[in-house]
Amino acid sequence: MLSRLKVTGMSNNLINPALKGFGPWAKTACQQLSRHSGLGLRANGTSASADEISHFQELAPTWWDVSGPQRILHLMNNARMDFIQQTLKNSVKISDPETYIPGFNYRGFLPPYVARNIDHELELAISKSQTEEKISVLDVGCGGGILSEALARLSNVKHVTGIDLTAECIAVAKNHALADPSLKGKLDYEYQALEKVPGIYDVVTCFEMLEHVDNPGQILRHSWLKLKPNGILFLSTINRDIVSWFTTIFMGEYVLKIVPKGTHHLSKYIKSSEIQEWFQQNEPSTHEILQTKGTMYLPLKGWVEHDCSDVGNYFMAIGKL
Amino acid sequence: MFGKVSAPHKLIRLISSATHAVPKLADVLIVGGGPAGLTLAAAIKSSPKLNQLSTVLVDASDLKGKVASFYNSPPDNYTNRVISLTPPSRRFLEERAGVSLMNDRIQVYDGLYVTEGCSDATLDMEKDSMACMIEILNVQSSLLKRLDQLSPDPNTFKIIDNTKVSGIELNDPYDAKSWPLVTLDNGEVYKTRLLVGADGFNSPVRKFSRIPSRGWSYNAFGVVATMKLEYPPYKIRGWQRFLPTGPIAHLPLPGENATLVWSCTERLSKLLTSITPEQFTALINAAFVLEDADMKFYYKQLEDKTISTKELSEDINFRIEQVFSSSEDENMIDEKYPPKVQGILPDTRARFPLKLSHADTYCSERIALVGDAAHTTHPLAGQGLNMGQGDVEALVDALEIAVSRGSDIGSLLSLQSFWADRYPINNLLLGMVDKLNKIYGTDYAPIVALRSFGINVINNVPPLKNLIRDTLGESGR
Repeated sequence: MLSRLKVTGMSNNLINPALKGFGPWAKTACQQLSRHSGLGLRANGTSASADEISHFQELAPTWWDVSGPQRILHLMNNARMDFIQQTLKNSVKISDPETYIPGFNYRGFLPPYVARNIDHELELAISKSQTEEKISVLDVGCGGGILSEALARLSNVKHVTGIDLTAECIAVAKNHALADPSLKGKLDYEYQALEKVPGIYDVVTCFEMLEHVDNPGQILRHSWLKLKPNGILFLSTINRDIVSWFTTIFMGEYVLKIVPKGTHHLSKYIKSSEIQEWFQQNEPSTHEILQTKGTMYLPLKGWVEHDCSDVGNYFMAIGKL
Repeated sequence: MFGKVSAPHKLIRLISSATHAVPKLADVLIVGGGPAGLTLAAAIKSSPKLNQLSTVLVDASDLKGKVASFYNSPPDNYTNRVISLTPPSRRFLEERAGVSLMNDRIQVYDGLYVTEGCSDATLDMEKDSMACMIEILNVQSSLLKRLDQLSPDPNTFKIIDNTKVSGIELNDPYDAKSWPLVTLDNGEVYKTRLLVGADGFNSPVRKFSRIPSRGWSYNAFGVVATMKLEYPPYKIRGWQRFLPTGPIAHLPLPGENATLVWSCTERLSKLLTSITPEQFTALINAAFVLEDADMKFYYKQLEDKTISTKELSEDINFRIEQVFSSSEDENMIDEKYPPKVQGILPDTRARFPLKLSHADTYCSERIALVGDAAHTTHPLAGQGLNMGQGDVEALVDALEIAVSRGSDIGSLLSLQSFWADRYPINNLLLGMVDKLNKIYGTDYAPIVALRSFGINVINNVPPLKNLIRDTLGESGR
């Protein structure tokens, strides 16, 4: 049974023209745009298809139920936040000459208590520098606002703007944010297409959304345009491979039923190498891949990071030079 | 439209709603200023990640006056609420809550000598600095001192003492995730993101949360007293003897002081707290040396009031001498028995009921329970306060992670790891202590033989003995 399902999955793979690589559709973005121009939203270029929007409409009311259909997303948010925080910390340049920054593997060579003290000093210096230069964030495809709210609560974040193309999700997100007074003035949601968003940001996030849009290349292009120099683009999606199909669709949606059915379409998954290729082709000298991490869900444990970023789900941070 | 509501009625309603205080906002509201609640407050305010959380601690007692003054002007004598603090708990207090305890009032001890009343079985656990004996007031006042020295911004930290919680309700009764509204009997109302119940066995916070708590009363009482010794102990360690009425423990304090915890039946506890201090002292000395039959005889005589204090003391001294003189090696007397008690300090004798309870979970939406609010245990293993310290440490860990992830610290998702960390170990300790109490709660010969055999095996198999010793000394951490 299992092997037959696998085969079905594979054959779907093979007959779907969109699977023939990431490069072609990036190059033919304009053609795709004209093909899809029948729908108002799609004409925006950074659209989600109508059935994606209606899928998330159905999910909107239970978005914040942590034991409901979106539980796995709530759990995943912890892994996203750890990834973001780690990347932001690593990107801080400590300018204070008083802080000692060892140029070697001090954890391996120094006694544990000295290494601990160094860690502590560095941590304080980083958090000081972070609170002095607070960042603004654009969360693209914010859904019900799980990531946006978490980002807005961070002490090193000045403001978060969440945008989405499912109006119901924006309504849910706005309503939920009212419950927490600490978010007041730090978080705004807009029902808006990416290219219509005014201003530029220190951080742009596209988490779990590239696999839900028709034209991910356009999303990358417009996200990149919204980024300040030295800004960071965070994204996550799913590698288009048999492992992803098995974990996210077969196990997630059909066996364990921890992901709502119809959330994922294998043909829309994007390999991490394809993201890298896109940046090589479109922003050859202005980008730097800061970090790429694979992430997987272990029942009873939650989401854990791993180093095989070309299998299953992955996070990526790209710095704008 | 309001024809049926009489005018004065309406007026009263208007006035009462006008005087109803506007809720103040807090991130963390801690109910209870015992060791667990105060440690949590100090640890939050000492943590670089958490110190921005606006924190309020509410307690019914005179924390800022009476309790806090203990630090700067401690009494000469030792108070009677003394607990055993294990090294991990002390480390947490000193390193993460930043407390400097009153070191001259702490006695570090190097082992436990456990015997029983029905046989000669002995468990001799030795370990340098196994744990320390410390007065609860020392812990509390040191924490208050620490909080005072941190001098947190009054907008982000406040102790409201001499005040009780008069009511807790949800801000929106139809939304379990809405923030709890806590009304205090001074009229203030707080709306809090996270409500922490550090409010003891009868925890009002636990009742509000509707988290079930299971357990039973031991039908027993602990009798405590501070003792003056005739001479300082030869080895600084705790002595514990399991009598069929319950374990009696003699634990060291600095110099010629020691503290007593005598767990016993309700009837015996009443007798022990009603007899004269001299009679009580004589019984303590007898309890560590004489046989159970002797003790029963004295209890009976004292209950019937057919024995005078002088007769009792003389008889007990005579019998103790008899036991000592029959000992083959005189040096073993100091090894086997605690130093003789000269007397008990006035007003230090008290009794409290013993029970086991364990809450099904320690958290629900916007609620966390720590310490006795989550679990109570028999004092025989000295784990109660340490389990509470372990809870606080795990809660602080969970909160630090939640803040760094931008999670709502009151959400169940943020709190679950705290419960998952602590429940299994607390359950294990509660169970161990409970079984130990049951095994020793009988003088039925086959059981006595079995447990004596077991204890002798443990005493002669070092890995087993060390495992028990380390479990007690580390509180499972």
